[in-house]
Amino acid sequence: MQYLVGARSATIRFGDFTAVDRVDLEVGSGEVVGLLGANGAGKTTLIRMLLGLLIPTRGSVSLFGGRPSRATRRRLGYVPQSLGLYDDLTVGENWAFTTAAFGIAESTLPESVAGYRHELVGDLSLGLKRRLAFAVAFSHDPGLLVLDEPTSGVGPLSSSHLWEDIRASAERGTGVLVTTHNMEEAEQCDRLVVMAEGRVVAAGTLGQVIGDRHVVQVDCADWRGVFAALDGDGLIVQVHGSRLRVPGTPEHVAGLLHRHDLGGDVSAVPANLEEAFVDIVTKASPR
Amino acid sequence: MRAMVIKEFRQLLRDKRTLGLLVGLPVILLVVFGYAANFNVSKIPTVVVGPEAAESAAQLHAPFDVTEVDPVGNRATVESRLQDGKAAVGIVTGQNPVTALMDGTQLFAVQAAKGAFARMAQADVATGGKIPVIAPEVLYNPDLKTSWIMIPGLTGLILLFIGTLITSLGIVRERQAGTIEQLAVMPFRPWDVIFGKILPYLLLASLDLIAIVLLGMGLFGVPFVGSVVTFGIGALLFLLVTLGMGVLISTVSQNQGQAIQLAIMFVVPQILLSGLIFPVGAMAAGVRWIAYVLPLTYFVDISRGVMLKAEPIAGLWVPLVVLLGMAGAVLGLAVLRFRRDLAPSARHRGEDDFEPVAAAA
Repeated sequence: MQYLVGARSATIRFGDFTAVDRVDLEVGSGEVVGLLGANGAGKTTLIRMLLGLLIPTRGSVSLFGGRPSRATRRRLGYVPQSLGLYDDLTVGENWAFTTAAFGIAESTLPESVAGYRHELVGDLSLGLKRRLAFAVAFSHDPGLLVLDEPTSGVGPLSSSHLWEDIRASAERGTGVLVTTHNMEEAEQCDRLVVMAEGRVVAAGTLGQVIGDRHVVQVDCADWRGVFAALDGDGLIVQVHGSRLRVPGTPEHVAGLLHRHDLGGDVSAVPANLEEAFVDIVTKASPR
Repeated sequence: MRAMVIKEFRQLLRDKRTLGLLVGLPVILLVVFGYAANFNVSKIPTVVVGPEAAESAAQLHAPFDVTEVDPVGNRATVESRLQDGKAAVGIVTGQNPVTALMDGTQLFAVQAAKGAFARMAQADVATGGKIPVIAPEVLYNPDLKTSWIMIPGLTGLILLFIGTLITSLGIVRERQAGTIEQLAVMPFRPWDVIFGKILPYLLLASLDLIAIVLLGMGLFGVPFVGSVVTFGIGALLFLLVTLGMGVLISTVSQNQGQAIQLAIMFVVPQILLSGLIFPVGAMAAGVRWIAYVLPLTYFVDISRGVMLKAEPIAGLWVPLVVLLGMAGAVLGLAVLRFRRDLAPSARHRGEDDFEPVAAAA
């Protein structure tokens, strides 16, 4: 079988700078693949390559089994970070333009945005704009959805609605490639591809990406004192209530606490995605 | 405040276009107003016809520049030379009084010629009256109305404004808003986007052109004696050049501010150097060549020639061919650059490099 979209050893250079370095990636029907990485990791550049907006310097990309072309793009729904909507057109006019571009003769504005038909898009809240951008991307029942930071800047409720739409679409067989640096969103993906400095540094299901990584959990009364001490020792400390979580081994953390005359229960616990991501990216980017 | 001033200078020094405008514009204005802004025509192309053509031509001195002496020619010969712009003044001899036909579309040349004839007559009276009486007759713009020569040229300025500035802003706005990326992944052919973007401006400019011509005729009594088709062809070619410049400017501008700067740099020299205000013939030779590389210079020739002189298409072949060449070059380059923005895959590499990604069986 052929994947909906794929990259094989795809590389792109801008002068001496390698923005995407030998990336392999595939998205199949009905699966949601999350492209996870910090800002500047190369996610958007990779997406632009997959869509044919940038030509790989080396390697190849394919869209629906062929080169990105007018015919293959007809089956694509794309929501860029900028949303790609016309602020000076109304909701209805934006919808009419896109459906006409995709050759849809008769279409009805989705219920989620129908109430704003006559509003200028520029006057809408960011959450509503994103909802419209999604509706527009879904308008022609695409085989593949490519979403670049789809929930950036929207509240948790809107974000939740958008993810419901993404999952519903995948259940109907649409492949979804979504870039994010939000860990909670990434956990909703079927597979993850983690990028750092233009390279894929981890890939697989949530469990595979986290692997058997553990972090050290510190239960203590004086969490502020412990936080200051461990942070001062250069550890990345996460606070969960009065519990602190840091990378390393229980023995090492206990030793540090002892050195600072601080107490607390120290134990190893399975890492979450964010901790695994920090570990993966830190090791991949020693700078 | 010192920090603010230093920051401002640092930003300014990095903004090469603004810097160019700050340095370049005063230099352009100095050159233009120093060498080109001249209403005094020092050379008037003149044709002399009729049985006493040779004698009459010998009596003509500067500013008259006798370009043709035709003893068998007549009034029709002169009218033909004036109509196709080969002469600004034509003297018909062999009759009394001798007639000096003048091209009223060349306002400053006619004023200079009238002055020269008056001086000649005065000098002749002082020396005993040997020169025959010359009866001046102004054709095409008998009352030498400024509005009659300005309005045909202004139609060009409006096309220039819409074609260059408004088009470039329209495309740059798409780039700034990020919608151009969305267009690039929609099932449009690059041509659909390019011409879909250009055609509304073409239509709008055409409507504006019709409105300004009708207003000029209605309000100022400007005549339209020539062929509408010839005028339309000239306007279309000129518009294609300006639209091409608009698209070209948009492909090298990241934001609307940059597009406006570049459009100003393109439009301002045309207002000053195209012959719209200052006659090209009166410009110093060092700057006159600039006029000949500006498209508006050729459209001004066409619009004045058709509207005021009923110049036929055959007489306008030079400006029409130059505009056609400019349109082909500018629009071609603009479309290629814009197309590259929309469909980089058009520059695809060898087929061998392509390999569809497929899952293992």
